[in-house]
Amino acid sequence: MSVVEHRPLQEQVTLIDLVDRVLNKGVTLTGDIVLSVAGVDLVYVGLRVLLASVATLDERGAA
Amino acid sequence: MSAVAEATGWYVFGVVASPAPMPAGVVAEGSLAALVEPVSLAEFGREALVERLNDREWLETHARAHQDVLQAACAAAPVVPLRFGTIFDDLEDVRAMLRSRRHELEAALEYVRGRVEIGVKAWVAPASAEARRPAAPVTGRAYLEQRLGARVQAEEASAALAEVARAAHERLLACSVEAVANRPQPRELTGRDEPMILNGAYLVDDADAFRAEVAALAAGCAARGIDFEVTGPWPPYNFVGDGVAP
Repeated sequence: MSVVEHRPLQEQVTLIDLVDRVLNKGVTLTGDIVLSVAGVDLVYVGLRVLLASVATLDERGAA
Repeated sequence: MSAVAEATGWYVFGVVASPAPMPAGVVAEGSLAALVEPVSLAEFGREALVERLNDREWLETHARAHQDVLQAACAAAPVVPLRFGTIFDDLEDVRAMLRSRRHELEAALEYVRGRVEIGVKAWVAPASAEARRPAAPVTGRAYLEQRLGARVQAEEASAALAEVARAAHERLLACSVEAVANRPQPRELTGRDEPMILNGAYLVDDADAFRAEVAALAAGCAARGIDFEVTGPWPPYNFVGDGVAP
């Protein structure tokens, strides 16, 4: 059966699944009394750039 | 402890009904209670937060903390998750928010009561993603024909996969209260070579029955080289309104 099961225990939840939910979803409150709330697509883009740079660093480290 | 206290804000993870089933980290107002934690504004203030979000380690630590608090709360009572990094100046502002958004939050709590979110992702299995590697062409014309043929094949394959994903989502939607097809996650972030064709979230009453449906669906798709991955149960992040459109 080609179904993989994952329960969201701490170790098993991938960062991308977390970002998909924790940062991209949930009730967004706005208004004067909210000091800050995470910007969304910015994160996705930023994370992508970051992962690319991490991969580059890993390659250098392995070389 | 320094003489001047560091500026502190209040991070709100989510909202539950009051009285809350957990004793600590709760601020109540009327029928509702917020799950809160004091945080440093040097980390969670508006400008600081934007900067920290691009720090992978920081992001991962705090995104997991957010998830862990909500997951634990979910085990005890219905929870309405708030977006990551929702910060208030003081607890009176948190109470004011609970008052001003009361109707919406109460309705959201009722909607998710007794329900869980399940994630389903579908992938093109490695074997079918690599299929059809053509032999080397001998002439320029053969090369062009092969290029054209490959493009048509790729377009057809892509359309077929989109149809499989759409049908899978429809089928799972039929045994859900509500469903969302989110943007498939990019390969750079999944770390898998094969493309994701479905990234769905499903709000369900009966997680076991839903899982059985996914298993049946997967069995039917196995021959076509599609793998399914199930995650959850999650707090109902995708089903409390104002999510970002996919």
